[in-house]
Amino acid sequence: MHTAKETQRRFQDGEISAQDIIKVCLERIEQQDGKVGAFLSLAKERAYKRAVELDKKRKEGKPLGKLAGVPIAIKDNIHIEGELTTCASKFLTNYRAPFSATVVESLEKEDALIVGKTNLDEFAMGSSTETSAFKLTKNPWDLACTPGGSSGGSAAAVAARFVPIAFGSDTGGSIRQPASLTGVVGFKPSYGRVSRYGLVAFGSSLDQIGPFATRVEDVALTMNVVAHHCHKDSTSVTKAPEDYAALLGSPFRGCKIGVPWNFMADLAGDAKDNFLASLEILKKLHCEIVDVDLEILKTSIAVYYILATAEASTNLARFDGIRYGARSLKAKTLDEVYDLSKQEGFGPEVKNRILLGTYVLSSGYQDAYYRHAQKVRTLIIRQFAEAFKQCTAIAMPVSPFPAFPLGSIQDPLQMYLQDIYTIAANLAGLPAISVPSGFNQEGKPWGLQLLGPQLQDGNVLHIAHAFEQVTQYSHQLPPLFAS
Amino acid sequence: MEHDLSEEDIEKLSHLCRIACTPEEKEKLRANLSKILGYVDQLKEIDTTGVPPCNSVLEGMTNPLREDESCDTMSREVFLANAPAHVGGMIRVPPVIKF
Amino acid sequence: MNNSTWEPVIGLEIHVQLKTRSKLFSTAPNRFGDEPNINIGVVCTGQPGSLPVLNKEAVKKAVQFGCAIGAKVEKFSKFDRKSYFYPDSPRNFQITQYDQPIIIGGSVQAVVNGEIKNFSVHRAHIEDDSGMLKHFTGFAGVDYNRAGVPLIEVVSEPCMHSPKDAVAYATAIKSIMEYLDASDCNMDEGSLRFDCNISVRKRGETKLRNKIEIKNMNSFHNMEMALEAEIARQIAIYEKDPHAEIIKGTFRFDLEKKETVMMRLKEEADDYRYFPEPDLPPLVLSDEYIEAIRNSLPELPLQRLHRYMETLHLSDYAANLLILDKELCHYFEEGLAHCSNARNLCNWITVEFVGRLKEQGKTPMSAGIAARHIAELVELIEKGTITGKIAKLVADDMVATIGTSPTEIVQKNPDYQPVSDQGTIEALVDAVLESNPQSIADFKSGKTKAYAFLIGQIMKLCKGKADPAVVNKILTQKLQ
Repeated sequence: MHTAKETQRRFQDGEISAQDIIKVCLERIEQQDGKVGAFLSLAKERAYKRAVELDKKRKEGKPLGKLAGVPIAIKDNIHIEGELTTCASKFLTNYRAPFSATVVESLEKEDALIVGKTNLDEFAMGSSTETSAFKLTKNPWDLACTPGGSSGGSAAAVAARFVPIAFGSDTGGSIRQPASLTGVVGFKPSYGRVSRYGLVAFGSSLDQIGPFATRVEDVALTMNVVAHHCHKDSTSVTKAPEDYAALLGSPFRGCKIGVPWNFMADLAGDAKDNFLASLEILKKLHCEIVDVDLEILKTSIAVYYILATAEASTNLARFDGIRYGARSLKAKTLDEVYDLSKQEGFGPEVKNRILLGTYVLSSGYQDAYYRHAQKVRTLIIRQFAEAFKQCTAIAMPVSPFPAFPLGSIQDPLQMYLQDIYTIAANLAGLPAISVPSGFNQEGKPWGLQLLGPQLQDGNVLHIAHAFEQVTQYSHQLPPLFAS
Repeated sequence: MEHDLSEEDIEKLSHLCRIACTPEEKEKLRANLSKILGYVDQLKEIDTTGVPPCNSVLEGMTNPLREDESCDTMSREVFLANAPAHVGGMIRVPPVIKF
Repeated sequence: MNNSTWEPVIGLEIHVQLKTRSKLFSTAPNRFGDEPNINIGVVCTGQPGSLPVLNKEAVKKAVQFGCAIGAKVEKFSKFDRKSYFYPDSPRNFQITQYDQPIIIGGSVQAVVNGEIKNFSVHRAHIEDDSGMLKHFTGFAGVDYNRAGVPLIEVVSEPCMHSPKDAVAYATAIKSIMEYLDASDCNMDEGSLRFDCNISVRKRGETKLRNKIEIKNMNSFHNMEMALEAEIARQIAIYEKDPHAEIIKGTFRFDLEKKETVMMRLKEEADDYRYFPEPDLPPLVLSDEYIEAIRNSLPELPLQRLHRYMETLHLSDYAANLLILDKELCHYFEEGLAHCSNARNLCNWITVEFVGRLKEQGKTPMSAGIAARHIAELVELIEKGTITGKIAKLVADDMVATIGTSPTEIVQKNPDYQPVSDQGTIEALVDAVLESNPQSIADFKSGKTKAYAFLIGQIMKLCKGKADPAVVNKILTQKLQ
């Protein structure tokens, strides 16, 4: 299975045509995705049409894009004009996107070939992809386990080598946690670095779109395409992006890496062992490990579940069966259009979060919950700023557990606690990556998380790349999908 | 640490966010939310006196202004293609109490 | 109605739609009157994945308004989400400004019963408008053309104490918006809408009693009647039972019955769950930006009124007439550039020409008469080329043949040629004196009316063409 960089080179050099790339890719998906369930839909017509155009372009000697010929999968909460965007919800079973996300436009401008939409937790709310209204996605490393979530489909698609690159969204860890659980690289850019235009909003001040890949190098290549200012997104950063791929080219000479031991006091067992082993590797790369104070991060989950649900409760208010989406066939009055469409269209976890979000914003409770959480968020940002005075990057585990069996976590709160290490990066808007860091005795993958200060995405990629070069864990394929 | 919500609380909430619930659904929601709020109550321990709320994640980011030009419109066809019901170019809904 | 025991306390909330090319957060066109759902985009129809981007022209107009009313323009303001469910709301939340609006304070002046009054504004902010619900039998239709249109909401202090105060205040706000070219302020098209809050208390009381809200009035006159009716209603309640409490609610005004009718109770405040809009960073304006706008404000109604009365010496009535009608005022200003006598120009426009066109349902502007032509007419009178009487005939012709200049009309019509030749006029005077010996006698015996009669006869004889100054001189001579 070729990386994105290799695929682009092979196509550009004429070793393989775009149509053949797509043919092979779609064949593999059709043969093997039955086992995994990564995809909700395939955009075959679109992919073939663009492949034909691309082959013609190459024949005519026209300049080719940075991702020319590379097949890419997109999480089904990101719009491709004319294709369905379901957000894995019954509500949007038949919703056709009226416009493409900026990210999709950027990818297609660089000649990427989008092949389909991947499965997710409904409206990106979850950590296992189990709340999808349509299907379950399995972990390619162990089909009895979840791939994590909410971007489980994209992670599985890359892990099973269906596509070299897939896009997901990360609000509390939804790219990094599934990446860690499926042994691939997953990157959440700094808040505002990648446009949110065309991403169905969940937590507006927390969401970022980001790539999955089997190599940090491919993540850097992709970032060079999608990390830029977007005038249709008012929270988009205007500062010019770095050349991420070029940064990876320069040798890594080590740096100070902070570890927040006071926050991670509960880390134990295999997860701790793997993390310590990762630190040793970083030391071999001439990194100095320093202790930093981030005790406030113990409040991350509490802060997140107040702020994210508050924002989500208003972001999802628009799904009412009036202008689009599934309107309840039982609705006779206007009130019933709202009440019944929402009752029928949303799954239980989405309802949990909408009600919770409504509660924390409601009159009499807003000060104690929402406003208070906004202030604690400021404290979290400040503590990170202090910590970064002593180091260039921070290292943490991604998840306290490796891939867990489907159906094994029924208690919502227990599921939320999966995100303990990932949520903080969203609260502070920091760039954060999960890079494969080994396997447990059952052969399930672990991931190492690296965070950087706001807008220092390149630096995080650089360290991850150095780590990956020396460990090569991401080069390993899940046994079931190794052919 | 439980933070017990009542059935009435859930009634009020489901009405505020316009989601109808069966008695079973209400009870599940009541139990889940009570548990989560119980967990979230730990934030009461944190002292935030004098701390400003974080209204914008990236410091110094200000609202960009756009030129007053009309562009990127959506055609009515595309708009109505996703509509559950439409009539005469308008979205159709059951009758609304007129003031 | 004048009840000195009771004092009405009135506050107004005025929503003004801004005249911008595109909507507030959406790039769809801001146009009135088109087919449903033609002027739409992904933002104003609440499509998932869409994001708001703020229109700089809307901000500019808000700042202009703030400067025009002497308010504080906040350098730091922000937007908030206001949640409520209704089909005309594309997202089921409105983006508005809750606790940190762009404009704070300010005041407007208006004339009420001959005295100049000062009315305080509490605040003004920017928000987006909702779509429109159209009611049919058995169903309703939603049109999102209006959804997302920029609004400025101006909230007054509860500083008005009579329906006339309220009308004066509302008129002043409307006038300023028109002068800034911020809005069409067309109540029929809904680009200006207003709600009143009204309570009544005993004169001298400092605390406010319960108030009610009146909505959906579509003219200032209706508002005046509605307020009068409501004040009477509340007083009647208090006079029947001094301890009575007005039940809070939202009312409308029934034009036929001439009374206010409750639409719904305000049992509990709606829980809008306002919180800061996460898709929009704070709006930060620089001192330079605000000052540049302040320094380039057009002449505002009050300044213009002052200029008309103090510098141009127009009458109080004429000046106010012009100020209140922006189009007419602009027309007058156009003519003024070509005319030396402002008072006469004003009279010819507002009385003579407006009067002639009223029956046709037109104005001098809509009829297409060039302002400079009316100015020309006034100049012809000033120079003595034609008499005032002839000028009226010329005006008739200008209305009948739109586009022709008065100079052309006078040149082409011999009857309009003025007669100022001494000899010709002397002959006319002689002829009239000869046929009216009784009048001469009357005049000599002190009846001054006789003089006017003789003038009349002379003018009649010459069909008004004779120069009145010359006629007077000669007649006076001859009567001695």
